[in-house]
Amino acid sequence: MKTPKKIMLTGNKAAAWGARMARVEYVPAFPITPQTEIVETLAKWFADGTMQGKFTNMDSEHSMFMAAGSAGATGVRVFTASSSQGILHGLESLYTVTGWRVPMVIVNVSRALATPITLEPDHNDVMSTRDCGLIQLHAETCQEVFDFILMGYKIAEDPEVCLPLLVNLDGFYLSFTREPVLIPGEDEVRNFLPLYTATQPVFQASQPMARASAVFGGVTYTSFKLQQELASRNAEKIFAKTAHDFKDRFGRYYGPVETFHLDDAEYVFVMSNSFATKGKSAVIKLRQQGIKAGLLKLRLFRPFPSEAIASVLAGHAKVAVIDQNLAPGMGGITYPEIVTALYDKKNRPEKILSVIGGLGGKDMDDQDFRTIIETLDKSNMGKPLFLYDEEDAKNFDRLLKIAKLKEVSS
Amino acid sequence: MWRIRLHGRGGQGIKTASQILGSAGFYSGFQAQDFPLYGAERRGAPVMAFTRISEKVILERGPIISPDIILIGDETLLNDSQSAPLCGADPTTLIFVNSPHPPEKLAQKFSLVTADLTDLCHKHLNKRTIYSSALSAVGARLLGTIELADLLQAVEDELTQQGIVTQALQGNLELVREIYTKIEPAILTPKVEKTLITKPMVLPDYRPVVDGAPIILEPGNMALRKTGNWRVERPEIDYTHCNDCLICYARCPDGVIAVNPEGRPAIDYDHCKGCLICAQECPGHFINTVRETGLFP
Repeated sequence: MKTPKKIMLTGNKAAAWGARMARVEYVPAFPITPQTEIVETLAKWFADGTMQGKFTNMDSEHSMFMAAGSAGATGVRVFTASSSQGILHGLESLYTVTGWRVPMVIVNVSRALATPITLEPDHNDVMSTRDCGLIQLHAETCQEVFDFILMGYKIAEDPEVCLPLLVNLDGFYLSFTREPVLIPGEDEVRNFLPLYTATQPVFQASQPMARASAVFGGVTYTSFKLQQELASRNAEKIFAKTAHDFKDRFGRYYGPVETFHLDDAEYVFVMSNSFATKGKSAVIKLRQQGIKAGLLKLRLFRPFPSEAIASVLAGHAKVAVIDQNLAPGMGGITYPEIVTALYDKKNRPEKILSVIGGLGGKDMDDQDFRTIIETLDKSNMGKPLFLYDEEDAKNFDRLLKIAKLKEVSS
Repeated sequence: MWRIRLHGRGGQGIKTASQILGSAGFYSGFQAQDFPLYGAERRGAPVMAFTRISEKVILERGPIISPDIILIGDETLLNDSQSAPLCGADPTTLIFVNSPHPPEKLAQKFSLVTADLTDLCHKHLNKRTIYSSALSAVGARLLGTIELADLLQAVEDELTQQGIVTQALQGNLELVREIYTKIEPAILTPKVEKTLITKPMVLPDYRPVVDGAPIILEPGNMALRKTGNWRVERPEIDYTHCNDCLICYARCPDGVIAVNPEGRPAIDYDHCKGCLICAQECPGHFINTVRETGLFP
């Protein structure tokens, strides 16, 4: 696209446009609902010459991430995408290629994990990749999906980072939802994100080198892991720099967290991804009823911007961390991360409630948010709060009866 | 914000209708959002799609529970409990049904608009019944704030993206023009914001694995789900000519053609989805296809 244009795009199409405008040179692909539209779109663009480079259908996500890492190690710009069972199948490769320290952008379209199997979203898939060393940006809107991919290459390719970066978007609620997305002109994007030139040694013909090195004795291992930790920490600084550069060129600013009606808020919802939109809507309605609610949205999830989060939440009385994931036997996965970030703050919130909802695509409505407020007001709020009501329990019992007809009738 | 919910069957262009409406709203200067919802199903199964059009930023996502307008592309869905197209309707909801006859019961309870889109599609789309353009035109016109030029542009953009040929596109544009003159803008009443109330949350008790894990003890319970109303057309065996070769029985992908005690093929209409593979495969062309009308029993 020569000149900027606002068009109606699904989250998936916005992701494909991000890869296209970033002029990626290699896409290893494996389809999975709800991600398929991304790789389908890219396949078409490579086939008709809109995009220059190579698109390869792989035999699995495991080899797909290996191919992506290897291509990254040759110094080309790489894009790939997955979801749910797929990204878990490739998890071993993800740990491996983050250690290779090569840049690339991976899109994950969140979908809940089996068993039971479903197609609808929650965040257990992306949370499973939380500790493998990826930089992670979580998107609420289709515009953020597009913008984060452009910013993502800039961050991942920075010599102080050199790590794969993952952009997360929710299946269905974003992947299949169309909304207006501003696609900037080609020249603007070129100025922000020039073609990739590797600043590290890359695989070349007739110049053998190795990436998958073995080490023995913990010292060497620890030394390299500490470098990886430092690279990830650097990404917070590079994110901030990139966000300012992005704002200067495109006018949209993305902090590591976003605040919504937070300044005077007595109650704060901490959310991420597309359901944050629902949280914002509830905040407005609660305020119309005289309840001072606000919202903190997580954008940069790895590296975890502890200071940015803690400084925003400190001074607010009651905080609810809403996790769309479940670590059975522990609870919500981001909850302890937020609590840890606040531990040494003098004016930390008096109450921090763990809320678990939206599992397997279960919708969240305004009443859920009102109930969270009521729970925060209780002297003994119990924890965590599961967004599961009497009506849900009744509907579940009805289904059980159908699944076990024989038992009931005998 | 106006919330429009569209109902129809897979293959009738319901998702595309929501997208044309979304684009038309966007071209007319509004904020817009559209979203389809369907399972891992197939042609003929009930599908839903949603379009939100607003002057302000849209802070909603996902299914529309309380619609301002319901557009029903296929009236046979009206008594389908799985689809439940009237779910969430209240006295302020405007309901459109694609039907030659206004359903009386509905007219008593809701403000109702009807038009025979099937007939209009036959006329303009070479006898095909795909409601993408027609239903979006009805929605745009009922809203009253979408310009015809923007609607036509949206039809052209969305259908071109799907690879429509020029002649078929012209038919769609004519169809939209005719509907635009036929349907009058509606008077819509914005929903009153409800006071937010709490709801009782429950933590279920532990259940033994037999109830607590996703185990199905009644295999084959899919038969309880009648899929007969997925049919747009119904296969009917012409028994005066049928020579009982049973190729239809062998080819039916859903196993809904049985062999009766006389050795003749018999179609189970409770479950036949109307794929019409049997009619294609019958060597003597002794299976006729008949358009389904009216409500599924």
